[in-house]
Amino acid sequence: MTLHFVNLLDDLRRRSLRMAALVEDILNEACEALLSGDPALARRVILRDEGVDAEEVEVEKEVIRLLALYQPVGIDLRLLCAILKVNNDLERIADCAINVAERAKHLVEHPVHRTNTELRELCNVVQQILRRSVQAYGGEDLESAQAIRSGDTIVDDLYARIVQNIASEGATGPKSTAAMLDALSVAKNLERIADHATNIAEDVIFLATGQIVRHQQ
Amino acid sequence: MVIMDQPQGSLAGAAKAEMRPSPVSAPEPAGETIVRIENLTIRYGDFSAVKNVSLDVYRNQATALIGPSGCGKSTLLRAINRMNDFVPNCQVDGRIVVRGRSIYDPGCDPVDLRRHIGMVFQKPNPFPKSIYRNVSWGAKINGYRGDMDALVEQCLRRAGLWEEVKDKLKQVALNLSGGQQQRLCIARALALQPDVLLMDEPCSALDPIATARIEDLIDQLKTDYTVVLVTHNMQQAARVSDRTAFLYMGELIEVEDTHVLFTHPRHPRTQAYITGRFG
Ligand SMILES: Nc1ncnc2c1ncn2[C@@H]1O[C@H](COP(=O)(O)OP(=O)(O)OP(=O)(O)O)[C@@H](O)[C@H]1O
Ligand SMILES: [Mg+2]
Repeated sequence: MTLHFVNLLDDLRRRSLRMAALVEDILNEACEALLSGDPALARRVILRDEGVDAEEVEVEKEVIRLLALYQPVGIDLRLLCAILKVNNDLERIADCAINVAERAKHLVEHPVHRTNTELRELCNVVQQILRRSVQAYGGEDLESAQAIRSGDTIVDDLYARIVQNIASEGATGPKSTAAMLDALSVAKNLERIADHATNIAEDVIFLATGQIVRHQQ
Repeated sequence: MVIMDQPQGSLAGAAKAEMRPSPVSAPEPAGETIVRIENLTIRYGDFSAVKNVSLDVYRNQATALIGPSGCGKSTLLRAINRMNDFVPNCQVDGRIVVRGRSIYDPGCDPVDLRRHIGMVFQKPNPFPKSIYRNVSWGAKINGYRGDMDALVEQCLRRAGLWEEVKDKLKQVALNLSGGQQQRLCIARALALQPDVLLMDEPCSALDPIATARIEDLIDQLKTDYTVVLVTHNMQQAARVSDRTAFLYMGELIEVEDTHVLFTHPRHPRTQAYITGRFG
């Protein structure tokens, strides 16, 4: 393949990494808006969604263009496939983070629900998983990708505990019911983000080894 | 270098041989080795063009040989039906076993061998005779006593050419297009009812449509034959072959299922070659 193609592929890879950084930032801000009860920040986060959507489409177009024009094989093919899949997961992560920000707006007046220990912890862990996945993707780091993949149970445990707490507390009126549903939704969205971040780690494994490890233990 | 442009020499001596029955309709399962190459080294004088190559070719599969120009693909291919016998100075060490027989043993008749292992060349090379005679000729020399019209039709159909030529079988073959000529050469090879077809860049002189037809044909031929194909076109290797062998400077670097070799080759040299980052 030509040097020209190698350069195009490298540009696209960096573009995908920039998008990953953007999505990471959106998640961090959504969590901050939630935990600090900052509705203005939540609104600003929500506005950032459009940019991610537009970038997702542009990256996808470029992947398709390179596949069609250069019919890459080997590492080039694996990289393009990984970019395409990571791209999709990043867009989903941004969607989930926006959902968190939406719910954060409603939860401003319910500090009980938005600042409890488990939710804080869940925010923290999910942000970490995404950061590590994106780092593994940028560095094509097989070992950390594998580590991320095996560490996903913490999130499931936290999520289960949050659901259990909310259920056992019970609602005291319509306002508190709405707040409980918001809190549940936040937890669910964070849990989904962790899943998508784990998918990214799995794409890194594919990139490095050619193995598809999804749905395997 | 002598390339046999016309297989007269290889056929003449086989006149006494009986034609074997048509290939069995239910082929043995793929995975059985039909050609086993063992520690093969081929020298032109002092120069080793193929170095200690071992490779199994499986029945009813297409195996592609790829690698940079001069890496020994054609040399290796020609060894499989002893076409290198015609090259002065060419010396072969190691073994090639075809259906259990070592083909370089003194007892093995190369002319008979070439009936079992046919060859299609880069440039279509029909005889300057009629379309019909191009196909029937080899079979006749081999003493084929069945219905010649039926054999000609069967082979032309098999080569995907029948519909285009059925009304002009008496016309001279040289008037056909390049792609048609190449399919005619394939039909001619099939008329000898070989087990294995060797193809050395069979599409390099053809346009994309003619190429696609030959590729489809290779795919269909696999039900009854085994194909070994040399190609410079990586996409072609990826499309038509089940297994791909990568040669570099006479050595076999890697042989893999094609889809594996083109997504995740094991050897860095293979990676560099297939992604075009060579040298
Ligand atoms: N008759 C010959 N005498 C001496 N050297 C030869 C002869 N035929 C081929 N060679 C050399 O052997 C090596 C392998 O040649 P071969 O034709 O097998 O390569 P190839 O892989 O088929 O190349 P290409 O892709 O260009 O057809 C080359 O270095 C070539 O120069
Ligand atoms: Mg050659």
